Amino acid sequence: MLAAVIVLVILCGWEAIVQGEAVDELILPAPSAVATSLWEDRAILGPDLAVTGQEVLAGLLAAVALGAALGVGMHVSPAVRRALRPLVIGSQAVPVPVIAPLLILVLGFGLAPKILLVALVCFFPVAINLYDGLRRVDPDASKLLRSFDASRWQTFRLLEAPAALPAAFTGLKVAAAVSVIGAVFAEWAGSDSGLGHALLTANGQLETARAFAATFLLFALAVGLYGLFALLERRVVTWK
Amino acid sequence: MRTQTEAPVVEPRHVQSDHAGMTLSGVAKAFGAVRALDGIDLEVRPRETVAVVGPSGCGKTTLLELVCGLLQPDGGVLHSAPAALMPQRDGLLPWLSALDNAGLALRVAGRSKAEAREAAREHFAAFGLEGFERTRPAELSGGMRQRVAFLRTLLAGRPVLCLDEPFGALDALTRAQLQRWLAGALVREPRTVLLVTHDVEEAVLLADRIVLLSPRPGRVVAELEVDLPRPRERTDPAVVELRERALNALGVV
Amino acid sequence: MRRLAIVAAALAALVFAGCSEKSESGSGERKIERFNVILDYFPNADHAGLYAAQAAGDYERAGLDVELKPPPDPSAPLKLLQSGQADVVISYEPELLLARDKGAELVSVGALVQKPLTTLMTLDGTINGPEDLEGKRVGTAGLPYQSAYLETILRNAGVDPETVKETSVGFNLVPAMLSRDVDATLGAFWNYEGTDLRRRGRKPTILRMEKFGVPTYDELILVARRKDLDEEGASKVRRFLRATAKGHERLRAQPSVGVDALLKVDPGLERGLQTDVVSETLPVFFPEDRDKPFGWQEPSEWDAYGRWMFEQDLLKQQPDAATALTNEFLPGEGLDPGATDAP
Repeated sequence: MLAAVIVLVILCGWEAIVQGEAVDELILPAPSAVATSLWEDRAILGPDLAVTGQEVLAGLLAAVALGAALGVGMHVSPAVRRALRPLVIGSQAVPVPVIAPLLILVLGFGLAPKILLVALVCFFPVAINLYDGLRRVDPDASKLLRSFDASRWQTFRLLEAPAALPAAFTGLKVAAAVSVIGAVFAEWAGSDSGLGHALLTANGQLETARAFAATFLLFALAVGLYGLFALLERRVVTWK
Repeated sequence: MRTQTEAPVVEPRHVQSDHAGMTLSGVAKAFGAVRALDGIDLEVRPRETVAVVGPSGCGKTTLLELVCGLLQPDGGVLHSAPAALMPQRDGLLPWLSALDNAGLALRVAGRSKAEAREAAREHFAAFGLEGFERTRPAELSGGMRQRVAFLRTLLAGRPVLCLDEPFGALDALTRAQLQRWLAGALVREPRTVLLVTHDVEEAVLLADRIVLLSPRPGRVVAELEVDLPRPRERTDPAVVELRERALNALGVV
Repeated sequence: MRRLAIVAAALAALVFAGCSEKSESGSGERKIERFNVILDYFPNADHAGLYAAQAAGDYERAGLDVELKPPPDPSAPLKLLQSGQADVVISYEPELLLARDKGAELVSVGALVQKPLTTLMTLDGTINGPEDLEGKRVGTAGLPYQSAYLETILRNAGVDPETVKETSVGFNLVPAMLSRDVDATLGAFWNYEGTDLRRRGRKPTILRMEKFGVPTYDELILVARRKDLDEEGASKVRRFLRATAKGHERLRAQPSVGVDALLKVDPGLERGLQTDVVSETLPVFFPEDRDKPFGWQEPSEWDAYGRWMFEQDLLKQQPDAATALTNEFLPGEGLDPGATDAP
């Protein structure tokens, strides 16, 4: 409730600043202008939202699959951990704006490079949080299962995997929040559709209200995905 | 300069025995430079409850883990029947119900979920847990959690129970209640029990024999027979007297 | 007897029909060849002529399956061209000369825009000429030749460049001006940003560089790889340029065909703005000299500009227009590519 009030206050202040001509509307459009653009430009922004949404969802799916495989792999096999952990961490050091054009070059202008970039940006939080969660298991429970002669698989299935779920969901939520960034950079590097593309075109024509509207939709997409994972978390992690 | 303990092991040091007791001869265990146990000699007869008492850090937990087969001794020989461990903090899995937690050993042994639940359900009333089958550990009281953990240990179906300070985390009232309850449970379901506790009084109330360990590295400094009829009350003068003797032997008091 | 004659006549008719079909296919049909074009930037009014040609089927009739693609990043087109991923790219005269200076065997086959579009632009009403820039802040996109433009303009106006603070604002030229982070910018296009700002009631002051001391040049050029210009490649380039010229003529006759095509590619573009920009740009899509074909590049101008770049230490060697460009593939120059289009 309080959050809503704060947001409202900010919006009103923002509207007043622009109406009072303290800032050029081409730099900072008023919230009313942004809202208008959301409605009037819906024929452009709607399909663009669908495209970016597709890229993000597919990319997240790939990220979850890859991240889960890596997280479990690194936990279960010291050889895998030694081999892959530095690569996994290093992969995040390469700036996204540098990789994006390279992917476009190799894979073209279709959906594939976007999905790949989203996956690249998102797999790391999934993998690393899952890996950490799998390691931080109650040592007493671990001893217990060993004393029952549990096999490695049984220990994983009965103890480590459920114990790691809260951490895994943290990873998912982080991934959701940053997923949109990957899609936008990929679109900037080569696309004829999507919210990132719409942003560029709008900016290039000084259609700042539409640019803000596209940005708002990107933000809403990220928040929506985050919320989705949070909802899923509440359903699955019922013991916290 | 090489020492004897570095000689290769020829025979296994932990031997599973058929009868339901255990024998330790000169058992020693070190973790790196830290010697946790040093030459422990101990014999526990079948169906006997032995309490191991000593100050913190004297290797009591290590002793239990050796008996359960989770660790191998560095020196000496250990014979023991199969043992089930009840760790210091109950080790209940937060995502499982009380019923599923109790049946955990059976699930690991390969029984189906339904079978494990049935086996556990039979005992819930006797353990004062009736009605809490579907409850999660977070919603159980401390005392109830210990009881679930103890049931789980029993259901593992092993002749030896290794209990690591089972009532350590409880408040005094609950502890007193549970001590009484455990005494009763062991009468109904007799087992060989190795009970680790820092509470001397508890040892007197529950055990047939008390083994006192020195501070690290743990050695047996004294053994006391507790030849008192059950049920025992803490106000009983014989209990009090034995308690004093034990504390004396430990160098406290 | 009569039946036999009818059958013979029918057979003869069939044979003749078959023959004539064969001869038709012999002369009129051409296999369609792929032709990749990479633009300098996202599709915009500067490309209206190309999109007009594509929409009207001019490329198809020339036997080319033309794909117009935007670049992954602004520095990409020449790189992609060099690695063989495009047949022709749209680039800039200074960028081509820089690439050739480093040894790239690329050549400009036609000028898309005949004059500079880059300008010194300001929204500050007190600045009416370069002499008013003394002590002010100027934003550029950070390209070294833009700094050179600025320096040349200032010196020409008698202003000491040291007194002018130059900052890189990337591609945010207009926002930089609007927010008054800078007093003027160098790099905005008079046909594009200039028109956009005017339409929105801001009154930009536009200073065309070629009027203030910088040698004139072709802002947008069509570049190919020298090694792609063998007989087969040359034919494709010729046909492409001819169809592109046709597209620009269509544009001149009816600008909306280009704008419609653009909007189909990117519905996010504003019809009003793009139409105005096309109108503004039409004069510079064609050479001033009416006798010269579409895409004409004036060697003496290229030499003057190349010399200027060399003197500004932007190039290690002085370039030679004779090797940097060629007009031989322009419509009407060199060989005629053959019968092609309908009106």
